Amino acid sequence: MVVNNLKLLVGGVQLRDAVTTVTDILGKLFVRAGLHVLAMERGYASTIYGAHQFDPMVVAATPPLSYGDDRTDVLVSLEHDTNPDSPIKPNRDTILRHGKNLKEGGVLIYDNSTETVEVGELQARGVKVFPLPARQIAQRELKMEVTKNTIVTGALLRLLEFDMDYALFGAYLEGRFLSKGRGVVDINLEAARRGRAAVEEILSSNGWDSVGYRLEPQPSSVPNLLLTGNEAIAMGSILAGCRFYSGYPITPATSILEFLEKHLPRYGGRVLQGQNERESIRAAIGASIAGVRSAVGSSGPGISLKVEEFGLAGATETPLVIVDTQRAGPATGMPTKSEQGDLAMAIYAGHGEIPRIVLSAGTIEECYSLAFEAFDLADKYQCPVFLLSDLTLTDGRKNLPETYFTENQKPVVRHGLVRAADPGGDGYKRFAITESGISPRSIVGTPGAIFKVSGTEHDETGLITTDPPKRKAIFEKRMRKMQTYLKEDAKPPQVFGSPDGVPLLIGWGSTKMPLLDAQARLRSEGMETCVIYFTHIWPFPVHLVAPLLRQGSVLIVVEQNYSGQLADVIQQECLIETRRVLKYNGRPFYTADIAGGVRQVLAGGPGVVRVGEEAPDAAVETVPEGD
Amino acid sequence: MSVASPEAARLWEQNAFPRHRIQWCPGCGDFGVLAALKMALMRIGVMPHEVLLVGGIGCSGQTRNYLNGNGFHGTHGGPLGYALGAKMVAPDLTVIALAGDGDTLAIGMESFIHVCRRDPAVTLILMNNGVYGLTRGQDSPTTGLGKIMEEHTEEHPPFVDPARLAITAGATFVAQSFSGDPRHCADIYAQAFRHPGFAMVNDFSPCVTYNKFNTAGWYREHSEHVPEGHDVSDKAAAWALLDDFDRRGKLPLGIIYRAPRRKKAHARLPIWEEELAGIDPEPMFSVFR
Repeated sequence: MVVNNLKLLVGGVQLRDAVTTVTDILGKLFVRAGLHVLAMERGYASTIYGAHQFDPMVVAATPPLSYGDDRTDVLVSLEHDTNPDSPIKPNRDTILRHGKNLKEGGVLIYDNSTETVEVGELQARGVKVFPLPARQIAQRELKMEVTKNTIVTGALLRLLEFDMDYALFGAYLEGRFLSKGRGVVDINLEAARRGRAAVEEILSSNGWDSVGYRLEPQPSSVPNLLLTGNEAIAMGSILAGCRFYSGYPITPATSILEFLEKHLPRYGGRVLQGQNERESIRAAIGASIAGVRSAVGSSGPGISLKVEEFGLAGATETPLVIVDTQRAGPATGMPTKSEQGDLAMAIYAGHGEIPRIVLSAGTIEECYSLAFEAFDLADKYQCPVFLLSDLTLTDGRKNLPETYFTENQKPVVRHGLVRAADPGGDGYKRFAITESGISPRSIVGTPGAIFKVSGTEHDETGLITTDPPKRKAIFEKRMRKMQTYLKEDAKPPQVFGSPDGVPLLIGWGSTKMPLLDAQARLRSEGMETCVIYFTHIWPFPVHLVAPLLRQGSVLIVVEQNYSGQLADVIQQECLIETRRVLKYNGRPFYTADIAGGVRQVLAGGPGVVRVGEEAPDAAVETVPEGD
Repeated sequence: MSVASPEAARLWEQNAFPRHRIQWCPGCGDFGVLAALKMALMRIGVMPHEVLLVGGIGCSGQTRNYLNGNGFHGTHGGPLGYALGAKMVAPDLTVIALAGDGDTLAIGMESFIHVCRRDPAVTLILMNNGVYGLTRGQDSPTTGLGKIMEEHTEEHPPFVDPARLAITAGATFVAQSFSGDPRHCADIYAQAFRHPGFAMVNDFSPCVTYNKFNTAGWYREHSEHVPEGHDVSDKAAAWALLDDFDRRGKLPLGIIYRAPRRKKAHARLPIWEEELAGIDPEPMFSVFR
């Protein structure tokens, strides 16, 4: 019996089968019971309806290090055929795609309302199969098709022997539906019971006592929150004092916009859905000049469109936080798939040179805590600050104790904002030359501190100039801020293990989780490694990094992109050779990808190992994933 | 301080390039805009620190450096975007965008249309000279105003009429002025600044160097004031007026359309530490439990 340790995967047709309702409900119930949940792949497609969607979720007794390998314990297929004569069998899609990854002794539940699926191969591997006519029960018995996923949920609760008295589930239903009437709660409870009854029948007809997996509630002293990386960034931003946000709808950044539209006005802020990516960032720059902490969020294509304004924010020394939730590029790329392909853009994009800071989150915790740092650094250094995230985080969900959020909430400090200066005269200089490069900043409307700001080169007062000595002085002043940053605020990479003489596994972004998992796996196989993981990437803290990296035996940079963008930065800044393990097929790194890639590199293989499936599986006809 | 006193006039000269450093060609229409701008600002009685002048790219955008008041100068096509954001934060600020016909109607066209629709209390003084002056004489979207064209080509399409476009796009204040008559301009600008929504002033401001057709003399000959008795609140009357002037080959100067929209008032957004102290996360926590 496996207790409190499994990976559940729910699959179905996007929108029609409401795939994430099952994981959303179960996730909440598990977390309320004190279990730990990690779901990092919402597996959706860039269509509204009809594509295959899958949502894997790890449930464990302790916080999972990562989402592990692409292996499933409990597979749930919500699909049904709308046309039984069609050669494409949508109700087989989840099974065809994910059945091969079911563990021996795993569990499969699928909807057999329209047809039974041939699963002999799975059964031969010891998979326990539960054909459940959920849609049929919902339509014929409950006369309410929408209850079909509740039937599946009830079946799962029984299979996992979890919340058998519906104490948690009932409370959840009441919280959600009681305002619509007792009847809605009751029909859902009834649906769950029907699912359970169907499972009982299959169990007894096979003579099974249990399926070999069980989830047991664990007492937890503090309430936990279950949230996505985007929600963590949005919540962190509000608490960090952001009061103006603008964005144009784009996957996967949109959920930040939606969360802030809902919550920011309650905190006195405003949210603008721009008419395009450029209006969004321009309005945010205008808002910043007027004094508020201001941010924009977008993903690759939208960030590309904003590039001109990065230079402007840098030249005009306007604080601005730019959230880039990376998705697979180039061009439209794969809008719903994860990648770490925008690092070079964040560091270099734009004509000319500007001071800028690039931070990168690798966990949902860091999405929250780096939001505070991003707004603080933008204020202090009066420059664009990039906060990078990637789709694995934006849509990934994880539970964290409430105390994590309260303990990491930091008070808002407005660095160097001039409230009133020289009221009688005109002595204020917006871009005063200082040793740190940071000039006292006034906002529009400050008596005695009128400023002229221009993206055209200007002097200390902000009036335009092309005078060579003035240009040199003001350019150097701007760039000096980055030296000050390196002295005062740059953080070294996080180090897990001792770097001395062992291979260094280096990463950034959501790769952190599988890197640590791979380190543990390699250790269990007798190989010591050290994980070095970057959150503060630019300006690159060479003085903190180079001595550390020189201690390792070999540098292996693990990134979700084609060329190894962080590896390039390390080579360029530290003059140390790097090897690379890269993945760019749209799926996140699994533990086995990294462990395997590292072994290949260390066995004297190529300097660059590109992981991910080599070729498509045997030609199975599946529902297309949309474009 | 009385609104038009010498002290007030001097006040608007501070924090700016002195007159002898102004880099406009002698006779440039923008001098008239600058003079009118100062008159209008004195008339509405604001202090320079309460004003944000957002300049576009081109000769017109330089206006912000030639008088007191906060100035911001960003990217080509951007002024209305910055102005929108600043105004959303600080409703008491007098926000004025100063941009040319290229900046507003070519690269900034989408911004122009949507700002008309959004209706922030921002004034746009569209310094329209029918040419790209700074880059030395290329066609702008308003090139060809008043010229009889037998045939058009893709390279040289008919001109854009910002007044008609603004009304169509939902602007609530649409006016035209001629910088050769700064007193009249000032009168229009002052009303625009007081308008509670987006105010578009299409100001004919001749380029003496690169537009040898739409000269100051040409504008004088081809413009007339909006007749008294024109009902500015009536959209149909605004169209009829524009049609009537078109038929007669004239440009109407004055307020063509003014119909303020009912709008929700917003307070200034929280900026200072004391306004951002002790933020309560509980309302957000409850979503995730």
